[in-house]
Amino acid sequence: MSEIFKGVTRRDFLKYCTAVAATLGISELFTFEKIVHALETASKKPPVIWLEGQDCAGCTISLISIADPTPASLILDKISIRYHETIMVAAGHQAEKAREETIKDGGYVLIVEGSIPAADDRYCMVAGKSFRATVKETAEKAAVIIAAGACSSFGGIPKATPSKGIPVKELLPGKTVINLSTCPVHMDHLVGTIVYFLVAKKAPPLDKLRRPLIYFSQTVHENCRRRGHFDADEYLTNWNDPAQREWCLLQKGCKGPDTYADCTIRRWNNGINSCIDCGAPCQGCAEPGFYGEMSPLYAEGPVTEKIRAKKAAGLIPRKEDA
Amino acid sequence: MGKRITIDPVTRIEGHLKIEIEIENGKVKDAWSSGTMARGFEALLLGRDPRDASYVTSRFCGVCFSVHQMASARALDAAFGAKVPWGGTLLRNLVMGAEYIYDHMVHFYHLSALDYLDIMAIAKYTGKDPELNKVRDKIVSLIQRGDTFPLTPRYEPDEFCVKDPDVVISAVKHYLDALQMQIKAKNMGVIFGGRAPHYQSIVVGGVTMFPDINQVARFHSMLDELATFVNEVYIPDVISFGMGPLLPLARAGLGGGHQNYLCCGAFEMDEVGSKLLFQPGVIVGLNPVEIKIKPFNPQKITESVHSSWYKKESKPKHPYDGTQVFDLERKDAYTFVKAPRYNNLPMEVGPLARAFVDKDATLLGLVKDYGVKSGVVARHAARAIETKKIVDAMYYWCDELTAAMVKPGFKIHDTEHWDPPAEGEGTGFFEPPRGCLGHWIRIKDKKIANYQAIVPSTWNASPRDERGIRGQYEESLIGVPVPDPENPINVVRVIRSFDPCLACAIHLIDPKTNGVRKFLVE
Repeated sequence: MSEIFKGVTRRDFLKYCTAVAATLGISELFTFEKIVHALETASKKPPVIWLEGQDCAGCTISLISIADPTPASLILDKISIRYHETIMVAAGHQAEKAREETIKDGGYVLIVEGSIPAADDRYCMVAGKSFRATVKETAEKAAVIIAAGACSSFGGIPKATPSKGIPVKELLPGKTVINLSTCPVHMDHLVGTIVYFLVAKKAPPLDKLRRPLIYFSQTVHENCRRRGHFDADEYLTNWNDPAQREWCLLQKGCKGPDTYADCTIRRWNNGINSCIDCGAPCQGCAEPGFYGEMSPLYAEGPVTEKIRAKKAAGLIPRKEDA
Repeated sequence: MGKRITIDPVTRIEGHLKIEIEIENGKVKDAWSSGTMARGFEALLLGRDPRDASYVTSRFCGVCFSVHQMASARALDAAFGAKVPWGGTLLRNLVMGAEYIYDHMVHFYHLSALDYLDIMAIAKYTGKDPELNKVRDKIVSLIQRGDTFPLTPRYEPDEFCVKDPDVVISAVKHYLDALQMQIKAKNMGVIFGGRAPHYQSIVVGGVTMFPDINQVARFHSMLDELATFVNEVYIPDVISFGMGPLLPLARAGLGGGHQNYLCCGAFEMDEVGSKLLFQPGVIVGLNPVEIKIKPFNPQKITESVHSSWYKKESKPKHPYDGTQVFDLERKDAYTFVKAPRYNNLPMEVGPLARAFVDKDATLLGLVKDYGVKSGVVARHAARAIETKKIVDAMYYWCDELTAAMVKPGFKIHDTEHWDPPAEGEGTGFFEPPRGCLGHWIRIKDKKIANYQAIVPSTWNASPRDERGIRGQYEESLIGVPVPDPENPINVVRVIRSFDPCLACAIHLIDPKTNGVRKFLVE
């Protein structure tokens, strides 16, 4: 085994690879041996630059919420974090210097959290530089660019504000950008995509919105445990009523039939719970229209009308027919 | 004129913060705190269904996630006339308690501790403890491979950095353990919160998550594990560092600042809300021997834009009347953070404020027995001490919840007040980990007519006001020793002790005018 995994037992390592494979959901794409081999033969830890723009750091917190692989093994063993405002020890000039030196060498993974203000550069300045300039400069020699979360994927909440947040892809039309668009980024989506890139040296297959198909090919509704009640027109109106507890959340504003993401099968935070499972409607956070077009969030609105029209036209298959 | 230096970005905090200081004779003579990113949430909310507010404002911040969901829901509760059932209150308290445990641990171990440790001393560890040797081997292998990111580069360790290999290696072991425990704390909150960061379950009128008894048992079991870590690792670490190698810093009162404290009160301990875990109150000019608490009156809060990139106003306004418009051209402004004042005075909010207002016996014991003064070390100590207070309260809330659940007619939500009122206004106060938080909402024609929030880091990170009085970060830096301008480690120690959260602090814009000035870019 290469020096990279010195001090790690073979058993630990295989356990890690299993976790990676499970996180990725790619057993059919890659053999287990191939993952083991690729990670073992890596000669040095791949450098990562993580930029934060118009963000809330929620995607960073999501990253360190994954149980397997552990955040410690990610940060110390698997990747070399050269720049990350929330994590790195360095501050000020030292921090910026680390970023600049990493750029010189090229070949790093660039992760962007947060949007770029289109209304005026001065809405986001770091180290005296506009975020726009920093993203452009850092993207130049990146091996791959991952937009982590709704803001950097599609503009997210800042898009609808006067600062007019725009996504990374809009700033870098010629670059390969992978959008992981939930708000916040799903910890499994992020770690899985990083590992996929390190193994395959290319982006995973993407949908037309540049989201990995392995995570975004089915609607939240397709795998929803409340789906049968949607078919039966049984909609929850009262959260206190035990009889309605499993009913469909459409009348509470659910956007599940119009949202592509695997939340209802993958769930969140190491499988413990999810929006739908805690009685809260899906708010379509993975879609480009989030947040502006999803409003009203907790009542029937334009998205509900669209869903009802599709249902009436027989375009949403019943659970038993699926 | 002393030497001016700038630290930008200040890292290991939430958000984008720039600190400028002027140094004379090796000490900070003057300081400017500057928030350098703005989004503008309020324009987004105007004209929307009021219930959107709790979901959207949660996105102010993903580190202290969902504290705004809580304050916003409380403002909506007031505006809708909703009465949250005891079950709903308990579930809200429990998920917020989980947030506290995660947040305080991450702040101490992952955001602050490395300012006090010479981490490379680990290589000199010669002990026999197999767990600690694993940590040593890990760090040594990083050094051998010439890749110690993100632990380096760093400011050079000074005399207050602990260099004893045995101590440093234990601390780093706890850093790694805490990285696991913070996942546990979030997982626990997610049992009733839905997901994290950004819980899903808190809405106007209560919560959406109808719990079952197994979930409570699971929550309780995870709480046991976290309580053990808090009591046996986190608190002993903070106290042994603070009263040991950092005692000179503690006694010098490094980073004390104005010594005015404000707590708005939070966490109902009974169904009628007559008893709170954190008492509201205000202290002006702390005298730790005889603490005088004044009642907290929200009407005395104003916000000034004197030094901030918003259109100038004739005088500071109460949050209900705030009408801020970005003005990026103002040469006399230096930050997106506004300047909240209480009775015209700057205030510190957060764990230290809560502890002094509560006259916390443990903290006052450290003051009396060790000569600890208000400042950096006291702030870390207050944070650890209150984590135990939260943990103890969470056991009580779990018991109350179980008792309530087995009674017929158990409720989590006020369904009668789910639809928005035609008109209304409401204020929601809460004490998140970083301190006093207030949300103000005004509803007209069932839509949001105005929305304002004054958040903890706005209080602490505020700039100068009309009278030229510095904000608390700025004041806390005055007199701080910076013997080497290339190595301003004390400055970041002071700032990080507040647990800054800049994304929270800057979120405002006036919705009425949508008044963003247009500029040519590039």
